[in-house]
Amino acid sequence: MTRYTIITVLLVLASFVVQQFVPAFTGWHHSRLLIVQLVFLCAAVTVNQPTMLLLAFLCGSLWDAQYTLGPHGGDPEIYSQPVEALRFGYSILLFGGMGFLMQGIQPLFRQGKWYFSALLSGIAVFLYLAGEYGIITIVRGNLVLTHATLRQMVWTSVLTMLLSPLVFWLLSAIARRCHHSIFPEANLKRRRPSF
Amino acid sequence: MKPFNLIALLLFVGGATWALTRSERTVREIQRGYYSAISPFLKSGSTIESSTRDFLTEVRHSKDLEIELATIKGEIGRLPIIESRCRELERENAQLRHALDFKQGTSFEVVAAQVIRRQPATWWQTVEIDIGENRLIGPQLAVLSNEGLVGIIDRVTETRSSVVLLTDEACQVSAKVEESPEVGILSGQRGLGDGSPMLRLRFLSRDAMLQPGQRVFTTGRGSVFQANILLGTIVSIEKGADDSEALVRPSVNFADLGTVFVVLKQSEPPK
Repeated sequence: MTRYTIITVLLVLASFVVQQFVPAFTGWHHSRLLIVQLVFLCAAVTVNQPTMLLLAFLCGSLWDAQYTLGPHGGDPEIYSQPVEALRFGYSILLFGGMGFLMQGIQPLFRQGKWYFSALLSGIAVFLYLAGEYGIITIVRGNLVLTHATLRQMVWTSVLTMLLSPLVFWLLSAIARRCHHSIFPEANLKRRRPSF
Repeated sequence: MKPFNLIALLLFVGGATWALTRSERTVREIQRGYYSAISPFLKSGSTIESSTRDFLTEVRHSKDLEIELATIKGEIGRLPIIESRCRELERENAQLRHALDFKQGTSFEVVAAQVIRRQPATWWQTVEIDIGENRLIGPQLAVLSNEGLVGIIDRVTETRSSVVLLTDEACQVSAKVEESPEVGILSGQRGLGDGSPMLRLRFLSRDAMLQPGQRVFTTGRGSVFQANILLGTIVSIEKGADDSEALVRPSVNFADLGTVFVVLKQSEPPK
């Protein structure tokens, strides 16, 4: 279990490097593959709550370190209404929320029904993007929600979700190597003698 | 709830509160640490990426060549490829000459840079360029192309910089309209994913006498951008109760950014 947890943390860290080389699909409503979010979501359903929270903190803080914008600068007399930037650390809460959502269906996942978790990962990514956009709207004011933005969120969620079986397979392979099972109840059922 | 889970939750909330209350300076230090930690991966990743691209181009060329040879079966078959490569080189040459003319013709002290990554973030309109502190780049420096203003430098590491594009809501520019006394603040708009991005010129006077087609330039006020840099062209004007706003088409084609120029010297505020 400890080995599996350590490797999961390392996998999440590796996903940050991979994310750097994943381009946005500008021709496809500016959608993108959110590798970090996907790895976190898939990992969140396979670990216990404290580990999930550790991963959420790690992912949220590193994500913000990667993308937080600095102040615009300039003379405040001219730029009297600067656009508010999002505070460093807001993603920690979003990742935490997504993690709790995934852990909600952990009993199903442990029975081997990974497809529910795969579907939920798409929903969680959509909620993550919607939450992020909502925070931007609250901080900056002026609700602007165009069809283009909605399409971007939907396609990003769908594309990211489509990769989730691959990540679950990877996590399952890692767990096997660590003599650990991410589907303990399914394995138990298989071992029971049938009459 | 298990006591261990409760302790973990409390630690998580404490950690999130700690992160949310960090000062701007601390955040920048965290960002610097993060980017210096992943820079070896980025460097080797970039090398692998360019080698793969070269290899794929080579493979593509080989396949093209094979098809050409199979269809024409002769040396003549190679001519179209050579011709297209010559045209490509010619176009590249023209682009570089254009860029060189711009660099020589400008009155600012500029450093040329290549865009190496487009739109890394979901909601921010940003690009990354291949120069950083190694070329004396610092935050809040203007970035231009030969078509006009591109944006402003945000985050800088040793060898890379992040540029907030003019199309982003956070990039505000003090702007003036040619042949008119009108001045306002130009910025990008939120939530415009598809199509060509448009800018919004706000805080114009209520009875602004503007026409579509008039060009918009920087005023040079606000100590960020130099004066008289082309920003775009007015497309339409919306009159409000207290002020007017204009929709502006940017002069720069942001979908095709290659070489950009970072202005090293800050402008003197106009007297």
